[in-house]
Amino acid sequence: MAPHLLNLASIVKSFGPVRALKGVSFDLRAGEVHAVLGENGAGKSTLIKVITGAHQPDGGTLVVGGEAVAALTPARARDLGIACIYQQPALFPYLTAAENIGLRLKKSGAFSLTNWKDQRAHAQELLNRIGAEISPDAEVSALSMPEQQLVEIACALGTGARIVIMDEPTASLTQKEQLLLFAVVRDLRASGIGVIYISHRLEEIFALADRVTVLRDGESISTSAVADLDEAQLIRLMVGREFDHIYPPAESAPGGTVLSLRNLGSRAGGVHGVTLDVRAGEIVGLAGLVGAGRTELARILFGLTPADSGEITLNGLPLSIRSPREAISHGIAYVPEDRRRHGIILEMPIAHNITLAILPEFFPATLLREGAEAKLAQRFIRLLGIKAHSPESRGGTLSGGNQQKVSLARWLATKPKLLILDEPTQGVDIGAKAEIHKIIRDLTRDGLAVLMISSDLPEILGMSDRIGVMRGGTLTAVFGGKSDAHTVMSAALGQEAA
Amino acid sequence: MMQKYMRELSIAFVLALLLLALAVFAPNFFAIHPLLSRLTAQSPALVAAIGMTLVIVCRQIDISIGSQFGMCAVVAGVLAAKGMSLPVVLLASAGAGAVMGATNGALVAWLRLPSIVVTLATMVTWAEALRLWQQGRLLDLPAHVKWLSLGQTAGQTTLVVFTVVLVLFAAWAMRNLAAGRHVFAVGNDAEAARLAGIDPQWVTFGVFVLMGVLMGIAAVMNIAQSPQVQPTCGDGLELKVIAACVVGGVAVSGGRGGLLGVFLGFLLLANVNPALTHFHAQAYWEKAIQGLVILLAVVADGVCSKLPNKAGDSKAK
Amino acid sequence: MNDKNCPPNSRQRVAGVLRRMLSRQESVVFVVLIFEILLFSAIGRNFLAPDNVRNIVRHSVEIGLLALVMTPIILTGGIDLSVGSMMGLCAVAFGMLWGEAHFAPWLAACAAVAIGTAGGAINAGLITRLGLPPLIVTLGTFSLFRGLAEALTGGSKSFTDFPDSFLSLGNSLAFGVPVQAWVLVVVSLFVWGLVHRTTAGRAFRAIGFAPEGARYAGIPVGKRIAFAYTLAGAVAGLAAVIFVSRVGEARANAGTGYELAAITAVVLGGTSIFGGTGSVYGTLLGVASVAVLSNGLSRILSISDISRELSGMLTGALLLVALAGGALTKALAERPHRSKPADPVNSESAGRKEK
Repeated sequence: MAPHLLNLASIVKSFGPVRALKGVSFDLRAGEVHAVLGENGAGKSTLIKVITGAHQPDGGTLVVGGEAVAALTPARARDLGIACIYQQPALFPYLTAAENIGLRLKKSGAFSLTNWKDQRAHAQELLNRIGAEISPDAEVSALSMPEQQLVEIACALGTGARIVIMDEPTASLTQKEQLLLFAVVRDLRASGIGVIYISHRLEEIFALADRVTVLRDGESISTSAVADLDEAQLIRLMVGREFDHIYPPAESAPGGTVLSLRNLGSRAGGVHGVTLDVRAGEIVGLAGLVGAGRTELARILFGLTPADSGEITLNGLPLSIRSPREAISHGIAYVPEDRRRHGIILEMPIAHNITLAILPEFFPATLLREGAEAKLAQRFIRLLGIKAHSPESRGGTLSGGNQQKVSLARWLATKPKLLILDEPTQGVDIGAKAEIHKIIRDLTRDGLAVLMISSDLPEILGMSDRIGVMRGGTLTAVFGGKSDAHTVMSAALGQEAA
Repeated sequence: MMQKYMRELSIAFVLALLLLALAVFAPNFFAIHPLLSRLTAQSPALVAAIGMTLVIVCRQIDISIGSQFGMCAVVAGVLAAKGMSLPVVLLASAGAGAVMGATNGALVAWLRLPSIVVTLATMVTWAEALRLWQQGRLLDLPAHVKWLSLGQTAGQTTLVVFTVVLVLFAAWAMRNLAAGRHVFAVGNDAEAARLAGIDPQWVTFGVFVLMGVLMGIAAVMNIAQSPQVQPTCGDGLELKVIAACVVGGVAVSGGRGGLLGVFLGFLLLANVNPALTHFHAQAYWEKAIQGLVILLAVVADGVCSKLPNKAGDSKAK
Repeated sequence: MNDKNCPPNSRQRVAGVLRRMLSRQESVVFVVLIFEILLFSAIGRNFLAPDNVRNIVRHSVEIGLLALVMTPIILTGGIDLSVGSMMGLCAVAFGMLWGEAHFAPWLAACAAVAIGTAGGAINAGLITRLGLPPLIVTLGTFSLFRGLAEALTGGSKSFTDFPDSFLSLGNSLAFGVPVQAWVLVVVSLFVWGLVHRTTAGRAFRAIGFAPEGARYAGIPVGKRIAFAYTLAGAVAGLAAVIFVSRVGEARANAGTGYELAAITAVVLGGTSIFGGTGSVYGTLLGVASVAVLSNGLSRILSISDISRELSGMLTGALLLVALAGGALTKALAERPHRSKPADPVNSESAGRKEK
């Protein structure tokens, strides 16, 4: 039996009240491709960060190459032969491929000479080894994304990595490029390297992997040989759970169509042919995997990305939305996914955050009225149950859940007709989650149309009146009424529902 | 290949045009003695440009070099007047520059203050300190400093040759020494550099110290050319040097640029004014042209980077 | 622990206000200013005499104007190095229009302000339309504007012999106070209103804290930034006219070094160089501190040359200290947040951004 390169036992990792990993065990043997499967939020990225030393686990043991490792740091991980290739390569854009590879090797003194010939030859050798048709003299910024990925892999090989982690490597590759990548992965395996392969694409897992571990809700549910499973079983492992969370149900039938999209597309956004309706008082959930184009669709509707084909109609009026200000004036609100960077401004008080999107409307003649503003803030603090010291508290002092409520308050203050939510309860504790869900449902009673993007399958299933599934930049399925996890996940993965 | 050296080629082209025009309309521009004197006078600024190239590649800026230059020149002049030998004077000048550079470097690298504001502050502090010290007095220089005790022509030639050798060495070092590559790495992406085991703080600090040392050397080169030291000799130097770098293709966003372009850009800019004089045109346009040139170079860079681009910036979600 | 949602009572409110005041840089500058005044009035002779106070005021109006309009720019996280040079260009333009084209002084003044506005608009256009870094753009215009001023005057020409009615703007009193001080008062009120009482001011801060976040909130980022830079140009023109009136000469080197003094005053007064935090009242305190220091030193040392350099040095050193202090305060303020529960997806150590 091949030696174990990596052994994780009972790894626990929490971020405040959120328990990302609840006791994960994982092992990797030499010369194997071990896939890790799980929904967004299942704990995959946290697991990776623990392995690469970016996070320290709160509990459990980590054994690399037979030796227990107590406090792993990124530098130490690199020395131990662990390399990770992320979706966005960490390369130096204005340096050549050869130099990128060279700089990642073991550190040398400041006054050592660069042997360009050797560096180039070494890079060429590595690139040849993985079959990449890239010149070592190519400047990285001139390479396409898949080519940059290959350079990253060459860097990993250059550092003598024995454990190579690949995080959704085929997300932006064409068919042809994927096949090339598979060949590379097989070569890596053949040379005794252990590959941890994270992907949502079941066909890849069946094509490439030897074993697969399924993560769900921070636990490793099962680890088995790929040969022993079929698709249906995998999907069941991914989604099977008890729904212990009560989602508030819809109380009345939806009203007229508020948002109507016909064949909407944007080259810049990588979205095409989206046809969808959202009615007043209804919640349309938008499911799909990373890279499916959901946030891109939201950005188009909010004027951040230009649309170049198709139509957007709001309450019967065709619209061309060129900026967020225009979107807001039409009654479209977008609660963004990145709470800390786009959702609220951490350094500003709650009250200022709440009025930020309605400055021209709330303060006519541009003059601020802090009294009225504070009253508005108090109203939302009460309405949404925001736990804060006062409306003057800075956004950065709040917990994730409360920050999300402030973000929500900002957009509710714009009195929208259509509310787009992007991962509304990501990183939010259970209590606040339930509160936010209730708030959203209450809003629909007043005729608000809600488009909710979420990677949390139970949330999508529990909250949505209808579910749209996106894949590859377009809407591939719409399920009316109540659906089940299996159906939705299969559609998201592009499989036939079993 | 052509693509890569586009900037250098265009500057070389414009420079060639300028020289051609001069050869035809004002051939005494090329008279050997005045030419040599001009080249010698321009050498200190070129030495400064070497340092500035590294600073900008590292994604920083240093507008205090004019004050550093003046301070080092006075330090050197005072010591020379006391009878110190040239090597000692050089060492002291470089040392003074190193101290001033280290001040900038420490504030930028470890306190993470924006280099523009830090060097703005140090620029004024040292300029005023110098003015306080010297009261605007001109310092007489002893004979052993003049022309490095080599006589005019030999001295001038030495200075020019030294400069060229220094530029060649610097170009070589930027390309071949690990330290040089580290500057490029940090300028490209400080985080990626950190992940690759390079310490961005020390690299940034080092770049400012080196700038100071080079200013010290340039200051000595300057005092070797005149009978007196003027404390205001560094006024406007930073603009000249930054203009040469920006024109020469060093990106203000860091991570890119080479001394060949800077050298050509420097030659072009340094000779615009003398050329204007020879064409009997208004010579007061120097600052305006410099400013315009900086703007044009930066606009050109900005426009080029907005052109429809490669897959490098695809953003899938 | 259930009182979080109750509005604070009046005593708590006062205590909160006091606590906040003491921890803010404006208060520190205020203390520094008081200290300077006390020191110089104790040591120097007639420091607080009306004549001297008027002197201080006269000398600080131009820098004060520049510092005022520099405040919104720095609040957005930008910088404008060209305001001093803009003064030079506007001064020359004013001189030429009056001296050679024989415009009436008030007409020439309007034209000077218009030219300043155009210069500010150039900065604004390059920064917002082409997305170029404010640092380099204004470094370029810093050189260009001064260069144009020098070229237009052939490096040496200047304009004098202005009518007394014009010179009185810079040298006489209105209601016991130097005339130009009233200009400063009006502009102060305007900028104070802009920064603290209008939605534009709120937008400046949002842009400074989070340029992307501001965009997501529907703030017209380009428009706001463009306004700030254009305003700076216009006021630089105004400052140029006042300068010419005060010294009686329109020359190309007007305003040399003023941009540094303006930036120093702004940063001293508590506006963060990174943007977002700051106040107009702090800027005015900063201007006052620098002006009082300069004047006080000249009286103590009674050789005005030395004091000028000393105050210049101290200004530079003060700027460094203010910057360093600001950096340390920022670092300290961020410390408590590190122990906050880190968001597993959005935390800083999230390595490469995934979605």
